[in-house]
Amino acid sequence: MSNIDLLGRRNFIKGLGAAAGVAMASPAMAVSEKADGVKWDKEVEVLIIGSGFAGLAAAIEATRKGAKDVHIFEKMAYFGGNSAINGGLFAAPGTPMQKKEGVQDSVDRMVADQLKSGRGIADEALLRHVASHAVEALQLTMDAGAEFHPYLQQLGGHSVARTYQTSVSCGAGITQPLYKECKRIGVNTHNRSKFEGFLVGDKGEVVGVKMRQNYHFGEDQPGKVLNIRAKRGVIMATGGFAQNVDLRMAQDPTLTSEVGCTNAPGATGEGMYEMFRLGAIPVHLAHIQSGPWASPDEGGFGYVSNYSIYNFPHSMAVNRLTGKRFMNEIADRKTRADAELACRDEKGNALPPILITSYKDSKKHPNTKKVIKYNVGWKFDTIEELAKHFDVPLKPLKAQIEEYNSYVKSGEDKQFGKNMTKAKDKFIEAPFTVVRLWPKVHYCQGGVQVNTKAEVKDSFTGKPIPGLYAAGEVCGGIHGVSRLGSCSIPECMVMGMTAARSVMKA
Amino acid sequence: MKKLNIVLALVLGGLVSLSAQAVDQRPWHKEVIGKDCKTCHDNGIKQFPSDQACLQCHDVDDLVKQTARSEEDKWQNPHNNLHYGKDLPCQECHGEHKAKKPLCSNCHTFKFDKHKE
Ligand SMILES: Cc1cc2nc3c(=O)[nH]c(=O)nc-3n(C[C@H](O)[C@H](O)[C@H](O)COP(=O)(O)OP(=O)(O)OC[C@H]3O[C@@H](n4cnc5c(N)ncnc54)[C@H](O)[C@@H]3O)c2cc1C
Repeated sequence: MSNIDLLGRRNFIKGLGAAAGVAMASPAMAVSEKADGVKWDKEVEVLIIGSGFAGLAAAIEATRKGAKDVHIFEKMAYFGGNSAINGGLFAAPGTPMQKKEGVQDSVDRMVADQLKSGRGIADEALLRHVASHAVEALQLTMDAGAEFHPYLQQLGGHSVARTYQTSVSCGAGITQPLYKECKRIGVNTHNRSKFEGFLVGDKGEVVGVKMRQNYHFGEDQPGKVLNIRAKRGVIMATGGFAQNVDLRMAQDPTLTSEVGCTNAPGATGEGMYEMFRLGAIPVHLAHIQSGPWASPDEGGFGYVSNYSIYNFPHSMAVNRLTGKRFMNEIADRKTRADAELACRDEKGNALPPILITSYKDSKKHPNTKKVIKYNVGWKFDTIEELAKHFDVPLKPLKAQIEEYNSYVKSGEDKQFGKNMTKAKDKFIEAPFTVVRLWPKVHYCQGGVQVNTKAEVKDSFTGKPIPGLYAAGEVCGGIHGVSRLGSCSIPECMVMGMTAARSVMKA
Repeated sequence: MKKLNIVLALVLGGLVSLSAQAVDQRPWHKEVIGKDCKTCHDNGIKQFPSDQACLQCHDVDDLVKQTARSEEDKWQNPHNNLHYGKDLPCQECHGEHKAKKPLCSNCHTFKFDKHKE
């Protein structure tokens, strides 16, 4: 436990505020404190905070390992967090579908791809732990009833096709079955319950939490705070902080409120910051990733994101000012997001680039129809029409298409070195479908440091904080500078299961 | 959209603190509920109603039927949607005393013609 008196410091700050006559606008938030003499309102065996992949997987695994009284607390009105709106893309090495499609893959290969995009600062031990258990986690989702498309996808930065996707092309294809499974096996779920602080024992161990009941997100309505004892331990699965503009700007001032965000509204980070207050080690907080496949024509992740993730391998991304390509369409996320942000008009204003795909190839993705129907993407019969609609210079655009098609033919992209395997025989020809691209804040690589047992490490002692476990996006350092697409689901699921196993052994 | 501004002050005998507030109410609810705030405010007058409050009168399965969409768009049914099934509490999209947008509009451009903000 940290030997700095945070509570004392906080009171001091409060005192200053009062002296200066500053009124507290929001209801005072409870913070961590000693459990000495607190009156317990409730006692549970395993206490999980957050209801995304990590929390749900932890609840199921804890129950399988013999826990009788498992509780999930969720601050929002609905369950599922980012996981319920996620793209449903799940990477795993050595899967049955890879065997069927003849794809050579291994734990080592997946870890190597991730280390590369992590640019030297990813946590190899954690990556290896997750990759080694990814197939097991995929099986858990299937056991609960999740269904997947019958094909594999190769996402940006992956050296082989290793990504499954739910048949509804959304993480809800996993969270809904997991949530139902939780209900079936007797996990207790509580919505509108906001975690506000830890209750800490004499030896610095986490013995319980302060939980605000009947909490209404974004409303001025405080509810009542209960002290809940956790007999075996607390698993923090509270996700990232991409929706908290103050906190993300503290890490990266370019991520102002003008940059969109794909996350669910509850991704505000207070669970993570409360663990820091307790002494957890912050890692890689400034590495916040933007999704290069998002569209400025809809909110959040919408329909375009999955559409473009599927189509990038056989599409051409074009700068509207020049009519030319400006990036490898399947480079890793950071490379592409940076390239898109550089697409600007003569005055320096944002000029979202376009992704051009042949309709014959794009239509294989279930979202294509919807993208056109809901006016977030367009279909054109001729290149002239397309160029006019987006005000792209026609001649260079035509030349670029011709050039690109020669790479489709030869299998070698001389412009950007794109891997053309998945583009084989897929020439860019009319009719076309087109979407606009602009990055949105998507994923927080940073968070608290955990070990391969999902124990949270204390910055002062270097040892795990007893009674405290964390899993999923709230943890940091695993992916390094840039997370590869489809690698969060396996991480959240595996680390949630790992946390449950550790809690049941402790 | 028409909404009636009714002043509940006079009828809320004991609740002095609320006495100066005007409260919006849906006209059709006014006919059924009248001025008995406790009908919905089952957690106490100053608290939001519980997630069960609306279900005293409304049946989820009926609502699912009323807002059903074609097979292709079946998961765009706000009362039985892809992300949260039938479990989304009413108050996330409907406010009795204030305007609300459907939760879907955070990410999608769907049109729900009958939704009243
Ligand atoms: C739109 C979108 C698409 C994505 N697509 C993919 C993909 O296809 N493949 C992939 O691998 N990754 C994807 N990701 C990333 C991945 O979905 C997330 O990293 C993952 O869902 C995080 O899961 P989690 O369990 O850690 O947290 P979440 O699913 O975010 O759950 C955390 C929960 O904790 C709750 N919470 C927070 N604070 C508190 C508190 N104080 N008290 C109580 N509850 C609290 C939140 O409300 C939330 O419900 C996507 C992310 C987004 C946003």
